Amino acid sequence: MPLLDIENLTVSFPQHEGVVQAVRGVSLSVAAGESVGIVGESGSGKSVTCMAVLRLLREPPARIAADKMELAGVNMLTASRAQLSASRGRVAAMVFQDPMTAFDPVFTIGHQIVETIRAHRKVSKSEARGEAANLLARVEIKTPEAILNSYPHQLSGGMLQRAMIAMALSCRPQILFADEPTTALDVTIQAQILQLIKDLQAEFGMGLIMVTHDLGVVAETVDRVVVMYGGRVMETAPVQDIFDAPAHPYTQALMASMPGRSAGKQRLVEIPGASPNPSNPPSGCPFHPRCAVAEARCAAQVPAFKSQSATRAAACWRLP
Amino acid sequence: MTPALELRNLCKTYHLRQSGGVFARHSDHLAVRDVSLILPKNQILGLVGESGSGKTTTGMMAMRLVEPSSGQILVGGYDITALGHAALKPFRRQMQVVFQDSYSALDPMMTLAQIVAEPLHIHGLGTAAEQAEQALDMLVKTGLDRSYGGRYPHELSGGQRQRVAIARALILRPAVLVADEPTSALDVSVKAQIINLLLDLQAEMGLSILFISHDLSVVRSLTDKVAVMFQGRIVEEAATETIFTDARHPYTRSLLQAIPVLNPRERRARRFLSRAEIEAATPRLSGYGVSTGKPELIQIAPDHRLEAILQ
Amino acid sequence: MIRYILGRIASIALTFTVVSVIVFLMMHAVPGGPFDGNDMPVSDAVKAKLNASLGLDQPLYVQYFKYMWGVLHFDFGIPFQSPGETTLQLLSRAWPPSLILGGAGVLIGAPLGILLGMAAALRRNSWIDYLASAFATLGLTIPVFVISMGLIMVFAVWLNWLPASGWGKPHAWILPITAYAAIPMATYARYTRSAMLDVLTKPFVTVLRAKGLSERRIIFQHVLRNAALPMVTVFLPMFIGTATGSIFVEAMFRVPGLGAYFVSSITLRDYSLEMALILMVTMMFCIAYLLSDIVYALLNPRIRVGGRS
Repeated sequence: MPLLDIENLTVSFPQHEGVVQAVRGVSLSVAAGESVGIVGESGSGKSVTCMAVLRLLREPPARIAADKMELAGVNMLTASRAQLSASRGRVAAMVFQDPMTAFDPVFTIGHQIVETIRAHRKVSKSEARGEAANLLARVEIKTPEAILNSYPHQLSGGMLQRAMIAMALSCRPQILFADEPTTALDVTIQAQILQLIKDLQAEFGMGLIMVTHDLGVVAETVDRVVVMYGGRVMETAPVQDIFDAPAHPYTQALMASMPGRSAGKQRLVEIPGASPNPSNPPSGCPFHPRCAVAEARCAAQVPAFKSQSATRAAACWRLP
Repeated sequence: MTPALELRNLCKTYHLRQSGGVFARHSDHLAVRDVSLILPKNQILGLVGESGSGKTTTGMMAMRLVEPSSGQILVGGYDITALGHAALKPFRRQMQVVFQDSYSALDPMMTLAQIVAEPLHIHGLGTAAEQAEQALDMLVKTGLDRSYGGRYPHELSGGQRQRVAIARALILRPAVLVADEPTSALDVSVKAQIINLLLDLQAEMGLSILFISHDLSVVRSLTDKVAVMFQGRIVEEAATETIFTDARHPYTRSLLQAIPVLNPRERRARRFLSRAEIEAATPRLSGYGVSTGKPELIQIAPDHRLEAILQ
Repeated sequence: MIRYILGRIASIALTFTVVSVIVFLMMHAVPGGPFDGNDMPVSDAVKAKLNASLGLDQPLYVQYFKYMWGVLHFDFGIPFQSPGETTLQLLSRAWPPSLILGGAGVLIGAPLGILLGMAAALRRNSWIDYLASAFATLGLTIPVFVISMGLIMVFAVWLNWLPASGWGKPHAWILPITAYAAIPMATYARYTRSAMLDVLTKPFVTVLRAKGLSERRIIFQHVLRNAALPMVTVFLPMFIGTATGSIFVEAMFRVPGLGAYFVSSITLRDYSLEMALILMVTMMFCIAYLLSDIVYALLNPRIRVGGRS
């Protein structure tokens, strides 16, 4: 049984101008200990998918529907408030994009890690604090005691992101959602944080969902890739296959347009046009207006998500 | 040949007042120290570094948008460091800037044609009709068709807004463009478009661009030369490919190390240097002159400068 | 922190001095004096004598320094409109009703307003939110004397439960205090709602939910504490501002408070009382702002413990 099992998830936000379809029929399953990268641009629905699984979107306005949305056997669509609180942080933990705004500014880092531990386990404050210090040491913070006593505004982004990772791991979750965990950080810090997440994932044996817009992050950290565009999954494949032989035209175009692939000042292969407007998405395949090989039926009908092999699947009319 | 832009020994000091006690302590923070750079005509120079390295401050000083504490700024060979507001105005035409966040830089109440024509209006160039016509031409040049002239910024995607910002910057046909992280806020699928646009416009208009970025992948595809900034100073400068293949400074190397791999096959365990380790690993050279015992920027090859301690 | 407070106290002293000079000059810039009224015709000779006895014939700066010297010794002079007592005696007689009215009004109105604002924020776009918004808007837009008249009509005239005016017995206090509580209640409800909503949309609240904290803990420990930050800067000054009472409510219910003297001391050129009242209000506001800034600093670690070390 997969740890996370989503079938046909849709998330929509009714607005004045019409309904914004953020996620349109996403299916995704993650096995225990597996690391999956969800790659997509802004508006692709990658973050909303993760937020929907943990029911972290405000409902209403958000409307979530799915044929199935199970996390460690718990039906997250019908889960009670208490069940949700028990799952969040304990079964699935989350690391967010901007560490500078992710902590409550009026409490110390120590307070915020301790309250997480004590929300899920009956341990004393001092025990929890000791655990928090150990966790901070594990995320390569050299002065755990000083950091425990610090307020968020006193720390750098890199330090806060380490503390957030420590906090996420504090209840030994079975799966970690990392939503663009390095985007807000400096380049050298980015690499360090990625390395850290990778190491901890192996050490804790937990599943990992790495949400990112950066193919480089995916190349560094995950086993399997899910490529999203316009609220739909375009392609899924083992990470090496995605880089060696991308099947979907969107994935191919994305790969080709990556800057810095070869030496020398040069024009890049560009994808024309802009990402689809989520409140007025194109008909058929969401990528067809920008696709170099689009045909008439691409605009008319949404291509089915078909398996190419035991490990690969894609949604494109041109693929067998 | 006279360079398009030259910075000589630029420094920027911020005075900080620290809280605490009855008497506040004052300290000086050297945001930029002794930066000398040459941007040759018709070239793109990448200025690379992390937040706090002083790269943006340097770019803003080059534009005289931030006043340097000391040093000189030369545009087309003219020293503009001490020019007053009026005397500076003709030079402002020659140097323009594009920012990362183009949305906040575009007036939401103006049409795109008005936004792009505004610099012409400010400098009193041509009649209103001529200005409008030029603005539409410029929009076309940056890849938006003439119908966009009547639209407003909120109707555009991020990439289109960045095109408008570039059109506005280039309508005065400046000699120098400072581009501060112009692709950082863009979607991956759009980034390449803007990089290509800058390359095309640079070739077509004979532009010289100071390209400020933390993204080394973009820098590799776009620039002729790269200067690496660390803690407010330049620690290495060389032709772009030299930086990527023969970096000598430990900080440059750690930046290169940090670039994510382009293929999962190349995954590797990395070792990261702390700031102190980088300072301690400053290269030591002999045979380039008299030792001062302190790190200094040394010309180690015709096109390669490196911060090192002479022995 | 100490340095900050010392600085603030110095600036209060400066504010106080500047206000006293401006008020003193403005009072005396208005033509006429206390004995120029038509209802009390006195000959010029008598007027000169009276003025001399009160020191009003001296140069302005002498009068100012004399008065301020007295203020420093808690001597606010003699109110011309009630020469049988000192200004301080008048204040200590007339202030308590205003203080009770204002204090009780805020003590009742503020907590109710805060609760209403919280409920509105937590149930955004529900009936309770719309009700609270409607109430807050009415409370702020309907003049307090209209509210007072409504209360008198219903509870004194129609139901005959409570007296329409007076201040003698405590049950006479109920209507004026109720009327007065409407303003702080409406204001606090609005501020609380927007402060709470502002915090609720912060990313850290999502993080708290993602950690598995209960909604109750998130609201009561984190959201309220953060929302309190912008609130103290508004609440404390307002709280103390109300201690001067409301001229309108006092007039409507004939409460023998300070309100009437604010008006009469101006029209009667009662320089001593006018100065005393304005200096008192100035001082209270200065202290209120100082207190609110100190509380803000204590609640906000960004100020309390400083920046990155």
